[in-house]
Amino acid sequence: MKSLYNAARTGFTEIWAHKTRSVLSFLAIAAGSLVFIDAFSAIFATYERIEKQKEVSGMARMKISQNYSQTFSSPDEYVPPPVISYDDVLSLRREMPGLYMVSPEARDWRNVLQYGERRMTTSLMGVTPEWAKRDFVYKLRGRFLDWHDVENKLRVCVLVKKAAPPPGNSFSKSMLKKYNFTGGFDMLVAHNDMLGETVKIDGFTFTVIGVLEELPYSKRPGTITGYSQDYKVLAPVTTLTHYNFINSYQSLDLSIDTGNEQNYDESLRKINNFLKIRFGDGDFFIVENQLEVIRERIAASMKSALVTISLGMLAFLAGGIGIMNVTLATVFARTREIGVRRAIGASRRDIMLQFIVEAVMLGLIGGILGSALGYLWGVPIKVILGMGGSPIKVWMPFISVLIAAFTAFAFAIYPAWVAAGLKPADALRAE
Amino acid sequence: MTISCSELTKVYEGGKAGWPALRGVSFDIKAGEFVAVTGPSGCGKSTLLNIIGLLDEPTGGKYALNGRDVFTLSDLERSDARRDEIGFVFQSFHLLNRLSSLENVCLPLMYAGADSAETRERAGSLLRKVGLHGKEKKIPLELSGGERQRVAIARALANSPKLILADEPTGNLDSAASKEIMGMLTRLNEEGITIIMVTHDRELAARAGSNMRMRDGRIEQ
Repeated sequence: MKSLYNAARTGFTEIWAHKTRSVLSFLAIAAGSLVFIDAFSAIFATYERIEKQKEVSGMARMKISQNYSQTFSSPDEYVPPPVISYDDVLSLRREMPGLYMVSPEARDWRNVLQYGERRMTTSLMGVTPEWAKRDFVYKLRGRFLDWHDVENKLRVCVLVKKAAPPPGNSFSKSMLKKYNFTGGFDMLVAHNDMLGETVKIDGFTFTVIGVLEELPYSKRPGTITGYSQDYKVLAPVTTLTHYNFINSYQSLDLSIDTGNEQNYDESLRKINNFLKIRFGDGDFFIVENQLEVIRERIAASMKSALVTISLGMLAFLAGGIGIMNVTLATVFARTREIGVRRAIGASRRDIMLQFIVEAVMLGLIGGILGSALGYLWGVPIKVILGMGGSPIKVWMPFISVLIAAFTAFAFAIYPAWVAAGLKPADALRAE
Repeated sequence: MTISCSELTKVYEGGKAGWPALRGVSFDIKAGEFVAVTGPSGCGKSTLLNIIGLLDEPTGGKYALNGRDVFTLSDLERSDARRDEIGFVFQSFHLLNRLSSLENVCLPLMYAGADSAETRERAGSLLRKVGLHGKEKKIPLELSGGERQRVAIARALANSPKLILADEPTGNLDSAASKEIMGMLTRLNEEGITIIMVTHDRELAARAGSNMRMRDGRIEQ
């Protein structure tokens, strides 16, 4: 303990006596520390996002849609394929009450929405209350569709209000302005409180019972399933069928969450069975296993996270080599001093300790500096540059400083060993 | 502290056969002696002193320090012996320039593991003993040659060694300072410390108890 204290004192004197050299070497380590913190927080951001996405989207998802690519050997063989109707959905629900979500979805495009004198194109999606169970990344004002609306085919609707593009993303901003991608509908919802208003969609009067406000980018976890959310108006699926927005040839898509990953395969088998019994043999529907897709996406994210962390490690390696270089230079510059110390009784261990402690101190200072820079870079600077702040956890700088110190330690061992191995008489003769 | 050497040889590496610095040196030094080693440059005086001081290892022969065969000592035991039993005084002082005179004297005590208050007190009293009271905080560059050598002597005395090895201790000093340092070494010898001093100066050598003349790696008697 005493020799450690003495080594630290000597180390401090040496670091102070060679300011330029010391600053350069702890800058090298600081760079490593900075990159590491940035990498770590990026990984953490990805991880957090995935966790949130898992929560929002669920893992055990599947999607059933009509198979448009069935092949027929001749036109005579063609029979209109079966469609999934709302009755089929209810039947599936009755047979498999354990499923967490069975959400039928029907889309209609190029609808004309009229509000007062203003007319604009929009797109409709017919859903049930189950839709809100997953991928619900909105703040709801008013209320969402309920079963009463669905059962009574009420002409009520919920409008989606788009969030502003990510801050500082000047490209997307200018694009939005130039081509008016936001369109009339988005402008209407953005600038008018539509809650409780009545609108006409393709001539039918609907009451706006709710507005779904998209959360700003930084707070929006996104959906793991990755489906584009281009719908603008949500209405009961039964209403849309009843008023012929959706004709009887159009099949409903089903978005299903089995509830948990363990019963996924079992549920998948049962659902396939249900479809076969109800519609007969034939590739009428595509059952998309989203569990696999989600797992692949997570694996891909983690892989890119590993790449990032290895970059951080490389930066530390560079810093470590810098420290090794400086320590070796120090050893050669102080060979005579090593001889003097050996002559007056320092053991090899004392000499090794001295150089290692000195390097570790450089590493510590560098690590602290780098962590501070990493924090500055991760929080205020990135925000100013419009890259969105990184989530830096309290423990990250500690880990980073520890790794910096450890790197310095590891890379100082060789030079310290060289120093300790010098023969006292030879070292004393050095210039 | 007794030193007993027989047929010591030292061959420096280099060339085919190497370069022999010592070609068989035998002598005995009893506790409390003051021996001056003289001889022309390159005759092996410093090599001999380095070997006696455990800074270097002989190539052959026998060397017993206080009855212990030094060939059997480990590196750590050699370090401990240098620290506790031997004090060095060099021609070019070999003080650490970034440390104050007090801190320089503290170093051997520090390596012996003494606690810091005790260390500073002992170092302070040694500096007073060599007449440097009030110059504890000066770094070597702020001191004269004679003062630096006195710091070096104080440092050599830190752990109360029984043997002091002085390699041309007055080589870089003017005659007044030389006289002072020589007087100091004589007093230390009177206190019972064995002293071996390498010197060119016949006058200084004459003041030592016995003389050992060397030539071409051998002792002339």
